Amino acid sequence: MTFRLRTVSTTADGRRIVRDKDLAQQVLTVGRAAESDIHLPDLAVEPSHARIALQGGNRVAVEATGSLGFTLDGQSQRSASIDPRTGGELRFGATRILVGEDGGAVLLTVEPVEDKGESDPEADGMALAAVLPGKRRLAWILAGLVLALFLALPIASTLLRSPDVKQSHVVGDGSWTPGPLSLAHHQLEAKCEACHVKPFQSVRNETCMSCHKAVHDHAPEARLAMARAEPGLGGKVLGGVAHMFGKEGPGACVDCHREHEGLAPMPPPAQQFCANCHGSLKDRLPGTKLGNASDFGTAHPEFSPAVMVDPAAGLTRRVPLDSNPRENSGLAFPHKLHLDPRGGVAKMAATLAGEKGYGTNGLACADCHRPSEDGVRFKPIVMERDCEACHSLVYDKAGPVFRKLRHGDLDQAIADVSIAGNTTQPVVTGRARPGDYGANQLYFARFTRPVGGGLVAGMLGKDGVCGECHSATMKAGHPAIVPVRLPARYMAHGWFDHSAHKQTKCAECHAAGSSASSADVLLPKVAECRTCHVGDQAAGLFAGKGKVPSSCAMCHTYHPTPAPPPLARAERRKSGGG
Amino acid sequence: MASTPAPRGAQSGRKISADHEGFLRHRRYRWLKLAALLCVVAILAYALVDVQPRPNGGSWLGYTLGTIGAGLIVWLSLLGVRKRAMTRGAWSLKAWTSAHVYLGLSLIVVATLHTGFQFGWNVHTLAYVLMILVIASGVWGIAVYAALPTALSANREELTREQMIEGIRAVDRQLHAAAQPLKREQAELVQAALDEDLFAGGLIARLSGTWRNCATARAIERFALADANDETAGKVEKLLIRRKAQLDRLRRQMRLKALLEVWLFVHVPATIALLAALTAHIVSVFYYW
Amino acid sequence: MADRVRVAIVGSGPAGLSAAARAAELGMSHVLIEKTDHLSDTIYKYQKGKHVMATPASLVLRSDFDFDAGKREAILGRWNEQAEAAGISVRYKAEVVRITGEKGAFELALSDGSSVSAEAVILAIGTQGNPNRMRCPGGDLPHVQYQLDDPGEYVDEHIVVVGTGDAGIENALGLAADVAQGNVVSILNRGTDFARAKSANVKLLQEAAAAGRIAIRLETSPAEVREGELVLDTRDGQETIPCDRIIARMGSAAPRAFVEACGIEFTSPDREAFPVLSPVFETTKPGIHVIGALAGYPLIKHCMNQGYDVVEFLNGNTTLKPADEPILAEKFAPLPGKRSVDDWLSLFGSRIEIFRDLSALQLRELMLDSDVRAFSAGEAVFERNEPGSSLFCIAEGSVAVEVNPADPSITVPIGEGSIFGEVGLISGRRRGATVRAAAPLIVVELSRNAALKLIATAPAAGRAVTRISIERQLLQIFGSGLTREDVAELVEGAEVKTVRAGEVVLAEGDEGQDVYIIRRGSMIVQKELGGKPVFLSYVPAGSYVGEMALIDKAPRSATVKAAIRSEVIRLPGEAFARLLEKKPELLRKASADMDKRREVNAFIEGRKDSFGGAVDMYSATAQFLIDNGIGEATDVLLIDETLCVGCDNCEKACADSHEGLSRLNREAGKTYAHLHVPTSCRHCEHPHCMADCPPNAIRRGPDGEVVINETCIGCGNCQRNCPYGVIRMDSVPPQKPSLLSWLLFGSGPGPGEPSYKWRKKHASGEQPKKAIKCDMCSGIEGGPACVRACPTGAALRVSPEAFLSVARLAEEAD
Repeated sequence: MTFRLRTVSTTADGRRIVRDKDLAQQVLTVGRAAESDIHLPDLAVEPSHARIALQGGNRVAVEATGSLGFTLDGQSQRSASIDPRTGGELRFGATRILVGEDGGAVLLTVEPVEDKGESDPEADGMALAAVLPGKRRLAWILAGLVLALFLALPIASTLLRSPDVKQSHVVGDGSWTPGPLSLAHHQLEAKCEACHVKPFQSVRNETCMSCHKAVHDHAPEARLAMARAEPGLGGKVLGGVAHMFGKEGPGACVDCHREHEGLAPMPPPAQQFCANCHGSLKDRLPGTKLGNASDFGTAHPEFSPAVMVDPAAGLTRRVPLDSNPRENSGLAFPHKLHLDPRGGVAKMAATLAGEKGYGTNGLACADCHRPSEDGVRFKPIVMERDCEACHSLVYDKAGPVFRKLRHGDLDQAIADVSIAGNTTQPVVTGRARPGDYGANQLYFARFTRPVGGGLVAGMLGKDGVCGECHSATMKAGHPAIVPVRLPARYMAHGWFDHSAHKQTKCAECHAAGSSASSADVLLPKVAECRTCHVGDQAAGLFAGKGKVPSSCAMCHTYHPTPAPPPLARAERRKSGGG
Repeated sequence: MASTPAPRGAQSGRKISADHEGFLRHRRYRWLKLAALLCVVAILAYALVDVQPRPNGGSWLGYTLGTIGAGLIVWLSLLGVRKRAMTRGAWSLKAWTSAHVYLGLSLIVVATLHTGFQFGWNVHTLAYVLMILVIASGVWGIAVYAALPTALSANREELTREQMIEGIRAVDRQLHAAAQPLKREQAELVQAALDEDLFAGGLIARLSGTWRNCATARAIERFALADANDETAGKVEKLLIRRKAQLDRLRRQMRLKALLEVWLFVHVPATIALLAALTAHIVSVFYYW
Repeated sequence: MADRVRVAIVGSGPAGLSAAARAAELGMSHVLIEKTDHLSDTIYKYQKGKHVMATPASLVLRSDFDFDAGKREAILGRWNEQAEAAGISVRYKAEVVRITGEKGAFELALSDGSSVSAEAVILAIGTQGNPNRMRCPGGDLPHVQYQLDDPGEYVDEHIVVVGTGDAGIENALGLAADVAQGNVVSILNRGTDFARAKSANVKLLQEAAAAGRIAIRLETSPAEVREGELVLDTRDGQETIPCDRIIARMGSAAPRAFVEACGIEFTSPDREAFPVLSPVFETTKPGIHVIGALAGYPLIKHCMNQGYDVVEFLNGNTTLKPADEPILAEKFAPLPGKRSVDDWLSLFGSRIEIFRDLSALQLRELMLDSDVRAFSAGEAVFERNEPGSSLFCIAEGSVAVEVNPADPSITVPIGEGSIFGEVGLISGRRRGATVRAAAPLIVVELSRNAALKLIATAPAAGRAVTRISIERQLLQIFGSGLTREDVAELVEGAEVKTVRAGEVVLAEGDEGQDVYIIRRGSMIVQKELGGKPVFLSYVPAGSYVGEMALIDKAPRSATVKAAIRSEVIRLPGEAFARLLEKKPELLRKASADMDKRREVNAFIEGRKDSFGGAVDMYSATAQFLIDNGIGEATDVLLIDETLCVGCDNCEKACADSHEGLSRLNREAGKTYAHLHVPTSCRHCEHPHCMADCPPNAIRRGPDGEVVINETCIGCGNCQRNCPYGVIRMDSVPPQKPSLLSWLLFGSGPGPGEPSYKWRKKHASGEQPKKAIKCDMCSGIEGGPACVRACPTGAALRVSPEAFLSVARLAEEAD
């Protein structure tokens, strides 16, 4: 038996070239060495790798001669015996040797194992694309993520949520908020749909008013429309655009209440917002009583307080301060007299200082004017508390008891006096009183029996115990006292917070010290306020030192309400007040 | 010495464009000027227009800047299409690139002013961040485009990619032949060198230009230790060194190309993501309006 | 033995076959003599699966055999069948060595000693000729073969290739290409150099030798061929090498000698000349007819039609009109005066000077690739600076040439029968002047190739054209005021010289007064400065040099040498001097030109002193560009590699604007000072590719671009002829999916040329391979796509006049 060596090679164009060779010897050497019978020019093969020998019993023995083995039918071996009839496949490096039989000879078919093939020669391995994920894939993934999370999810959630808006809640729209809500609306933070009710529709007034029910209109819609200034060209364009996109016309809540500007109180509306109309209101609303106002510092009408003109009827009239208003509150109270530090009043106050707590050098404003709880304004004047200490109504003494007239009940007073005994006899209280009349410089209250004109001339007379402060009148044939009406607030639409002005002395604004008649209206003129307060125009960089920038919102509110206006509120908050 | 007829450049029916300017200098920086103008206008507007209560994307100025910005972004992203759509017409990609670069940079100003410096954890800021990412990668792109081409052409020494590879393959064939007589260990070293993929090496390797465990290099080290009077080994070593030299050139080329291309793998996907985020931004703003 | 037939047809190519078929059809006794053992050897030798074209499409096929564009195999198969069916009697392996006798009784002696006698002979042997035989003893042994169809079929053989022409080298390379075949290939070269082969092939051969795949034996020739071995005569005595096969590629003898031996005259001694033929293809030897390529008709359809026609004529059919009749009729239709085709032909033949000694057949042939046009008086035939290389012949009327661009009123008349436009034809440059019809005009416009063929075949025509062109060139260059009489003397003394590339025309410092006009090609002017040649300027065709020395009476001030193979007209100096004396305004003009030149020289030299480096750079770069063929370019693509980022968008753009095939290879090509000349067409003034295009499909377009039109038959001649390797043979790839679908979903191969893998996958049937080259995007609005699509502005197209500015840029860059 002999070997037949069949070498199969393949040309580039895929043509198979077969070369047969019969070998006489019984043993074949396999290796890289040139002299081996089966020469495999393959560096993965050892110079002398294996020997293939004929065995008895028509078998072929293969054994490794080097340190490397070979594989037979896939198993790696160092030696093996093959029956050519059944055949077998040997592998040395990148070469396959099929053992078979061919006409009595052992056929060894040597052919290269076709390598997995060079990667596509046209593919540019030099380009970076060879080692990085494709741009397209990345792009799709990223874009998909963004759209899914930030667009599809919230929209789907809004569209698919249950009709019961109260219960259901939109998922994923948190990513849509352009910024935190203001303090006022903070609790709505997670519920965008509460305000943004309808997709692609800007927040509607009614939505706001569904909570803010109490808000009153600034003025009737028609009047507002008339009052609004004609916008400039730019304004027109913007308005047009806004309208095109379905924004509610001018004057919508959101026009002035901007949200998502940060977790803070809503900023007060800009002065411009008011000035739009009020700057030139008269031109468009000829009928209006309001003067044009565009900036407190520069363009603001004189204050016109509501002055009491008829205390009996409680009739007030608004008179600008610059047209020297006279007031008739039904009370005669010369501030000058009482505040004069060297006058009798001061003396008496000094003597009473101990028991009444007056200052030792005369009366001060605060002795009669007590601030209200919120400190914004003052408590009403009360005779018993604020006047009686000096202006006593005692008319008789029976034993230890002093009898005194009832304040505010004239009939009773007359009755008391008339039944009193020897009324010509003065009641000697033993206290020295100022004043120069009386026989021996002693004070006598003039309690004359109310008969004839005596009464009026007496008690109710100018020097009478009543007439001293009050003015008499007749009511249904009876003598009566004109009621006293001291206004708690002169300007209903303008806010003034006394507590914000603590550091200022009263006299700086109220010229009480020099007011000899209670007809004087002791309010400061706008000019005086301007010594500290400037309008927005002058605010900011150009504000003088120590000036207080005061936009409209400092004293006025857009929506009529007893609450202080926004800016004032902001100020109070700053000063830590209520 | 000679009379020449009027130069044919002028004669030609069609003007032969010999204006030799890079995309940055295109038409004496025309687009740079335009972009600068745009920025100045935007900044002035931002400074002068007093938006109540504070500058904000929702104000009319904000909407204007936003519209300009969005328009720019969309147009800029169209460069990818323009580059590949070989339509007829007298357009020049150079001009487009020039505009792309400068208008793209101007976006930094326009878009930032559009935000009114209000940022947060929301889709709007996401869009902004993506945009900045895109622009940043673009700036890197400009830098390498300006710096590397010279090196690229110097390195390849008139060889094409195919020629480089073929050169190495030629050395390989000689190596394979020369290595036949070698003992097993050395043979394996050579085989390893031959087997290694020319284009192996991931992003890091390519960008840094450091190819760790390069089989050829290792083989060279070992052969340096082989005894000096084994001339087969000597021959193989020389061949290995030649192979290494050519391989290094190929790798330098790969490195340069990687540096020139890598930014696109940020720029392009980020751009698409930006477009998506932009859509989300715009839709959401008007959806919840 | 000698059998007698009515007609013996020699050569079984398309022409011969068609003739034989017709003869068989008519029942004419005939024999078809074929020297190989198969029909139509030329087509048989096409590479396997080659797609054979059927052009011109307009030409109707008139033959008993069908022929339609298709695969080589299909066509040959069909013909074999039809030959069977028609019962054509063929004699294979019979080569005619001699034809004797007269009309009616010809004797055709065959190589095997036998002979055929025929009344008439039709020679359809084509132009391929017979391979030169091995003359050494044993040269006729069977293992000596003269062609190699499939190199792959030989294994483990010792093969010797004799002859080092391209054919031999290509065979040798093919045999040694695949190591697996285990062939031992050696190639013999009688001399020491490979002058006859293309440099590319030589390079490949030497590489193969270096790699040990091929043994090159220089100064060696075969001495004796033996069974299994070959005895060689080498420089040092004889040597015997084992040899199982010999491939002898020692060129072939053109059939002309044989044809002339038969007593047939040719129109001229010129190599490209054809036999003189009568309208019925009869040669000057009555009874012998010549058809097919040998008669000057390379296209298969022509050949087959002629085969049919010639037999019809022989059969006495005199009324038969040539198959190209309708084409000519169509050509002549728009002409005024309803004449028949024959009338027109005779009119042209008689009236037009250079057509005089053309046969009716040649005239027809000429007309087929020419145009006939009519103009009304005053109409412009062509405008100044219009590109165009065609030659116009005035058949009727006359024209006026506006020699002075400034003042159109100054004109030179050209009369009936004369020609114009020849300057463009010869220089390949744009038209030098506007030509208007002076009277109602009828002109024959010869395409460049047609004209060149004419000049080659009709010597009289050639001489006429040369004389006229020299005269015209003088008039054109030296402008107004000159008349034919003035230059007559110069024309007489003028001589046309051809100069090789690099050959010096004027050497700096030489004496000599002669003035040279550059007729074609271009020159570069350089000057020795500090021992280095410094590039001064580039002088295109249509310029003149050497007048400085003449006017200054001084030695040559600079060296002028050819940038490319050029033709110059030498004008005797003294005659020119006399002309200058006669014409002071000419002297003034010349001096003005000289001053311009002097300025440039001064400029360069001035710079030379200040910073030489820059100028060296400048001239070096210029030289580099010229070496890379820009000297003969009209428009070339350059890439500034300081800007090129290698995105290959230029290639992609090119492919996408030309049915998916890129015409340029950005990376390939030379680079100097970061100025890269990629492999793409330079649109040479004298395109090498045009030289040999059977269907004449390569034309110069309106912008001077050289384009291959759809009539290309894919023969690959242009590819072989292009020295810059910018032409490739490829088939149109299948339609790609839309760009959008790629951008979005990555469907398809994306922009640019699809990979072969993709093309294979999506190929719809077999596409014919055609020649592909840059067409400067002619007809594409916006201009060359490569430049438009360059994102960084690295790619730019320049003309030679413009390139120096580019070179300067490169200089500034450094």
